[in-house]
Amino acid sequence: MQVKDILQSKHLTLLNQQGNLNNTVKGIFACDLLSHVMGFAYEDNIFITVLNNINVLGVASLIDLGCVVFSHNIEVNKEIITKANELKMPLLSTKLTTAEITIELSKMGV
Amino acid sequence: MDTYSKKYNIERNDINNAGTVASLTKRALKKRGLSREFVKQVTIGVYEAEINVVIHSYGGTVIVNISDDQVDITFTDVGPGIPCIEKALTKGYSTASSYAIENGFGAGMGLPNIKAVSDEMNLESSEKGTILYMKFDITEKCYAS
Ligand SMILES: Nc1ncnc2c1ncn2[C@@H]1O[C@H](COP(=O)(O)OP(=O)(O)O)[C@@H](O)[C@H]1O
Ligand SMILES: [Mg+2]
Repeated sequence: MQVKDILQSKHLTLLNQQGNLNNTVKGIFACDLLSHVMGFAYEDNIFITVLNNINVLGVASLIDLGCVVFSHNIEVNKEIITKANELKMPLLSTKLTTAEITIELSKMGV
Repeated sequence: MDTYSKKYNIERNDINNAGTVASLTKRALKKRGLSREFVKQVTIGVYEAEINVVIHSYGGTVIVNISDDQVDITFTDVGPGIPCIEKALTKGYSTASSYAIENGFGAGMGLPNIKAVSDEMNLESSEKGTILYMKFDITEKCYAS
């Protein structure tokens, strides 16, 4: 599956224009502590977080994650969106909780 | 291939630029045709060590050397040092500030992650500073097929 396929979900909206929607997405990693993401996430994972912070992008791109999903309808700051465009990392947002969006994505067959 | 050797400064509390050395090293390794898996291991090690210098130390430098048979990286900072290395290496142990925690750091998994991904790791510390050495062996299976 690719990022553009999961964007079919009515629960997800795209936050940035220059993310690569052809990125492969495979598996989910939900966490708000970056060392756990660094140590345990796999490449192409969908990274679900509430951590509203620029370092999320650094980690996501360093270990080649597929995209970042901000859950709980958090307000994502501009700095993050600019950085995501620079790195071509797709940024998505959802009103659902981390658990709910994980279930939703899993139903979609990620 | 040519030996690659770079030195960078790392500023205290410069969280927005933390990850720069990891990113540049990742690019250099990819160029040499090393596999995604190998590159990821080194990237994790460099990132965690870089963050540690940013959030726990007064600042420092790093030297990255890449040759045909190994990658070796040495981080040197100017203090305050690690009072108990054994504790610091324990999974989950962290003295991170609230500033670091707000930024997603402080899981106490950095040094354990570095140990797990590297082939050799050495940590020395006094009040004058900390020296962290890590080495990754390059063998035939480290190249992308
Ligand atoms: N360069 C350093 N200078 C001083 N203390 C350090 C340094 N690196 C690590 N430490 C100490 O070791 C602890 C564990 O480090 P680490 O496993 O990376 O976890 P974390 O960075 O999440 O706290 C830190 O909380 C800190 O007390
Ligand atoms: Mg750390």
